Amino acid sequence: MNPVISAKNVWKLFGPDPESYLKSMTAGHSFDDIRADGYIAGVKDVSLDVSKGEMLVIMGLSGSGKSTLVRCFSRLHDITGGKIEVDGQDIMGLKEVELIELRRSKMGMVFQSFGLLPHRTVLQNVAFPLEMRGQDKHSTRDRAMEVVKLVGLEGREDYFPRELSGGQQQRVGIARSLAIEPDIWFLDEPFSALDPLIRREMQDEFLRLQAMLGKTIVFITHDFDEALRLADRIAIMKDGAVEQIDTPDKIVLNPATDYVAKFTEEVDKARVVHASVLVEDGSMGKGEPVAADATILSLARRLINDAADVIPVQMPDGNVKGMPRQAALDILLGEAK
Amino acid sequence: MTIVSDANLAVPEGGTPAMAVRRKVLIGLFGFAALLTVLRPWLPEALIRLPEAMLLPWSDWLDVGFAWVQNDLGLIHVTREIASWLGFLIDAAANVLYGKSRWPNFEAMPWSVVAGCLAVLGYWLGGWKLALLAGGTMVWTALMGQWKWAMETMSVIVVAAPVGFAVGLLIGILAWRSARFEKAMRPVLLVLQTLPFYSYLLPAVIFFKVGPTAASVATIAYSMPPMILMTIVGLKKVPPEVVEAGKMAGCSRWQMLRSVYIPSARTEILVGLNQVIMLALAMVVLTAFIGMPGLGAKLLAMMNSFKLGRSFEIGVTIVLLAVTLDRLSKAWVVKQPEHFEKGTPWWQRHILLLIGVATFVVFMVLAQVIPILNEIGRRQSLSMGSEIDVAIKGFLNLSWVKETTGFIRWFFNLWILIPTERALLYVPTAAVIAVVTGFCYALGGRRPALIGVLFFSIVAGFGWWDRAMITLHSTLTAVILAMVFGMPLAVWAARRETWSARMIFVCDTAQTFPSFIYLLPAIMLFGITPFTVILSILIYTMVPVIRYTIEGLRGVPPELTEAADMSGATRWQKLWNVQLPLAMPTIAVGLNQALIFAFFMVIIAAFIGTRDLGQEMQRTLAGTQLGKNFTLGFSVVFMALTFDIAINAWAEKRRRILGLA
Amino acid sequence: MKKLTTMVLTAALATPFAAIAEDSSDPITIPIHNWSSQIVMSNVVGQMFEEMGNNVEFVTTDSQAVYESVRLGDVALELEVWEGAFGASFREALSKGGLHDAGDHDAVTREDWWYPAWTKESCPGLPSWEALNACAEVFATAETGSNGMYLDGPVDWLKHGQERVAALDMNFTVVNAGSAAALWAHIGAAEAEKKPIVVFNWTPNFAEAVWPGEFVEFPAWEDGCDTDPTKGPNKEALFDCGNPSTGYLKKAAWDGMEDKWPAAYCVLTKLSFTNPQIAEMAKLVDTDELEPEEAAEEWLAANRAVVEPWMSACAS
Ligand SMILES: Nc1ncnc2c1ncn2[C@@H]1O[C@H](COP(=O)(O)OP(=O)(O)OP(=O)(O)O)[C@@H](O)[C@H]1O
Ligand SMILES: [Mg+2]
Repeated sequence: MNPVISAKNVWKLFGPDPESYLKSMTAGHSFDDIRADGYIAGVKDVSLDVSKGEMLVIMGLSGSGKSTLVRCFSRLHDITGGKIEVDGQDIMGLKEVELIELRRSKMGMVFQSFGLLPHRTVLQNVAFPLEMRGQDKHSTRDRAMEVVKLVGLEGREDYFPRELSGGQQQRVGIARSLAIEPDIWFLDEPFSALDPLIRREMQDEFLRLQAMLGKTIVFITHDFDEALRLADRIAIMKDGAVEQIDTPDKIVLNPATDYVAKFTEEVDKARVVHASVLVEDGSMGKGEPVAADATILSLARRLINDAADVIPVQMPDGNVKGMPRQAALDILLGEAK
Repeated sequence: MTIVSDANLAVPEGGTPAMAVRRKVLIGLFGFAALLTVLRPWLPEALIRLPEAMLLPWSDWLDVGFAWVQNDLGLIHVTREIASWLGFLIDAAANVLYGKSRWPNFEAMPWSVVAGCLAVLGYWLGGWKLALLAGGTMVWTALMGQWKWAMETMSVIVVAAPVGFAVGLLIGILAWRSARFEKAMRPVLLVLQTLPFYSYLLPAVIFFKVGPTAASVATIAYSMPPMILMTIVGLKKVPPEVVEAGKMAGCSRWQMLRSVYIPSARTEILVGLNQVIMLALAMVVLTAFIGMPGLGAKLLAMMNSFKLGRSFEIGVTIVLLAVTLDRLSKAWVVKQPEHFEKGTPWWQRHILLLIGVATFVVFMVLAQVIPILNEIGRRQSLSMGSEIDVAIKGFLNLSWVKETTGFIRWFFNLWILIPTERALLYVPTAAVIAVVTGFCYALGGRRPALIGVLFFSIVAGFGWWDRAMITLHSTLTAVILAMVFGMPLAVWAARRETWSARMIFVCDTAQTFPSFIYLLPAIMLFGITPFTVILSILIYTMVPVIRYTIEGLRGVPPELTEAADMSGATRWQKLWNVQLPLAMPTIAVGLNQALIFAFFMVIIAAFIGTRDLGQEMQRTLAGTQLGKNFTLGFSVVFMALTFDIAINAWAEKRRRILGLA
Repeated sequence: MKKLTTMVLTAALATPFAAIAEDSSDPITIPIHNWSSQIVMSNVVGQMFEEMGNNVEFVTTDSQAVYESVRLGDVALELEVWEGAFGASFREALSKGGLHDAGDHDAVTREDWWYPAWTKESCPGLPSWEALNACAEVFATAETGSNGMYLDGPVDWLKHGQERVAALDMNFTVVNAGSAAALWAHIGAAEAEKKPIVVFNWTPNFAEAVWPGEFVEFPAWEDGCDTDPTKGPNKEALFDCGNPSTGYLKKAAWDGMEDKWPAAYCVLTKLSFTNPQIAEMAKLVDTDELEPEEAAEEWLAANRAVVEPWMSACAS
């Protein structure tokens, strides 16, 4: 399957003359070297693919380049080097009208600091992208009302952004991006200002949409639990570069660097790691096989009660494979290396 | 290179090498100036003033240039075409406002209708207070028998202000889009704001036809620059995420501008509009020289027949009109659209519009029946011109008034103004240029210093050096006096929110106050002396000094003053060590504003009588010597630009150092 | 079709009248400045034009820059060209072309050093200029030291006070007022204490009615006193005489006026006011506090006999 977004060696430098600097730069320059030269590496040599229907979560410390990367995907930033393809089209080669068309028809974005138009009411903000597409007044209004209801802002549609709380404003931003039902969604910390209850509802809503309509979503968050709940894969960024990109359990189990390990330190691994990840070739073990997507935590009772060295796991491909009980117990007790 | 002038920034003992160079340059420049001055009696004439033979015939060249532009280039046909359009609009407005016999040929609108509708508008925008102000101003104007004059004035303002707004907005957008255009634009704006009014006069009359059209063009040219600047500021301030949201919604360029940028910059753009209105009103008297009808012209006529009382009444009307328009437009800026509960009936949502229409109809009908509501004739008016005359003259004759003012006159003229002016005129040209250069260098570094040398040499080369020095002397002393009196006032007012607000209100009002009104009493008290000249522009220099000092002081982050409090600083220590240093960049902007205003307004000195550039410019009007007029005008412009560039460079650098930019 | 007929008809009807040359229906623009006699006179003439069926409009202008506007035809005429104050601008514009001299008023103008009546008490020898010079210190101010102060008119009126002081070796310092208003303020300030002052003044002028006074008598004007040093008492200097005591007061007209508004132009060349008439016009506004339009009506009503001959002479 062709990836929806494909990034190859993408660079985004900030500074006086980034293009020529990048050309003249010797390979292997580190973030700090670049900074010493007066440039900031917002995105540093990033290559990754996002496939259709996938939810990629990007994490990383503040200033690590998450927002910048996503802006490169949507060409809000022109990249300094490398290549980004969306649906097979090189987006740097698009003409202005084509780019406008692409955004109108395929992309949606929720901004970290909301980006609401201060002079428009909630409803008008939500209707904005529809208006820009030239959709007729009536259907625009109906659709806008529909999503306003969906994010729970019914009755507030005539308020101005300044009259809303932070969380309510964020929901307007979400509603605005929902209104056009884009195929590709960029969500920059979309739930950061929401209370836990609404946050959960919103997460469910996005999961539902993704499952039902096969949306492709790139999602930025600082909340690892949220990442775990939503992510198909997680990318961890540092100083503009992607340190590791993998499924959640692999990241938790085999952090590629100390930086990634620090991220996963506090995570209760038993709740993240699935049985299928621990299987090894060789002995299949005995007894009733456990499900491949069962978390270690959910297997706690079996792990403690079962004295066997190897516990069988029913893999999705029909085979049964063995999981070493000791490894699973280590994870359960928080001693995994 | 950094300037270190206060103890806040630690400096190594003896300073950095860059600072040592700096100090040497400064000592060199000031030493050179001092030496020249001391040696003056023995210097050859050529070193004291540029010899006549070295002066280039700028005036003649300019005259040739103007003749070419006017006759051969045919620019006059273009400008006359523009003038005829403006004239059409102004005539139409004049017809609606006071029944001038032009298209669309309405009857004159009764004053009571205008007063009533404005009161409703005031209520809609700002409640009872504004309704009272707007309605009250109109009633006052009518009662004083000034209705027609006021409407004549307004007929030009209602065209000039919107045109200034629209053109300013357009230029602002262009400048925001193209950095190069903006760069080229800035000096032009400064020239527009500092070129003395006497230089506008002849070109405006020649190219745009004497009368309301020339007046409106001059008004537009003078009031537009702040609009342009505010537009640029507003557009640049639109948060990037809002812009990106627009882009992600797939806006085309035009949609971006119309639906994202301009509405988001609304506040700044409307502040620009407010400035346009205020400056347009500030120009009402000066433009009367080129055909602005109404209040300004009447004010001048009254002054010339020595009617203090009635000119005072007209002045009050101008101020009231300005305050009203100012308040209305400001209220409009802060007024945000309101929303109604769903299902509110149409009439309830538009209740004030309906009341407005009703007011219009009711007064229209009443005015037909009760003539006094239609028009108040001169004989019915309540003007108390002669009584005020007597009162003013009586007041000026009180012995304590005479003694105090007599002392002030004696002290300032004999001990400060005349000696300093003589001293400035004594100093050789080269020494003055060296001092100015040193000043620019100390403030802004190399570039402003080079500009200083260049511009002041040009002024010297224009050949009106002595007059230029007198102008410079008046503006500088006016600014210095404004600092001496204004800063303590501002520091005091900045201590409390309410005092600050009140002070700024006073400043706003004072700015529109035509100093012509108090010109005559000032002359009567202080004679035709330098002090009267300073007094006439002092108001324009005080306002920015006070206003920016207050803003600067109040803008100091509270954490910092609290930190100072916690370190046990006394109020003085806090002021000197924390508040003033941090407020300095803003105060510098205020000083700069004051200088620019002073350079522009010092022209008023010509009405009193001085020997400065303005007087010579007045002379050029007899005989229409355009070329000479412009060399004189640009002598003022170049001096103003020098200071502007140096002070701005300093403020900019200072902001960067303090991390405020 | 209908349009054509109307056109033919109007043309046919218009032809006989064209011989007498109708005035254009475009408004005649009359400039007004900021002193009363000129404003009222302009209104008087404007009302006469209106009676003759013309449209008239007024525009306020600077009294020096106005000649450029007359030249360009932006305004049609100028009713008060004072020899002393505006002669230079007028001659300059004449040489550039576009306007011409439309005749003199009967009124003569005098512009010279002047003092209010109370001054005589402190300097009894007045109005002789030698006597004035002898009591120069009576006129001293803090700023002028021991010299007397003479307040001259605005520089753009091109007075030569400075030169005269030098030529006659007087103990006076010349200060230029910036405007007529500044002159009045100066007189007004001296009035209460009856302080002796000497200032520039002229006649006809409203000030005569408010502050009685006299002109200083300088050596009498000789032709060429301003161009030929040998004229006047000081054989080596210019401007060593008093100003002519009978300066002209002219009217100026735009060159195109005669063709465009022949009747109005005719009246302009005919009309001529005298000193008392002009003083009366100024008085109606300055002392009686009428509006200029009302003052003009009143003056016209009282002086029908004066204006009637001019209008009837141009009617046919
Ligand atoms: N327009 C810009 N100009 C210059 N530098 C920029 C710009 N935008 C971002 N940067 C820099 O790029 C780096 C990455 O910023 P980015 O906004 O992508 O961080 P982030 O990972 O989204 O952080 P956060 O979690 O705080 O949102 C930062 O060091 C930032 O200073
Ligand atoms: Mg971010």
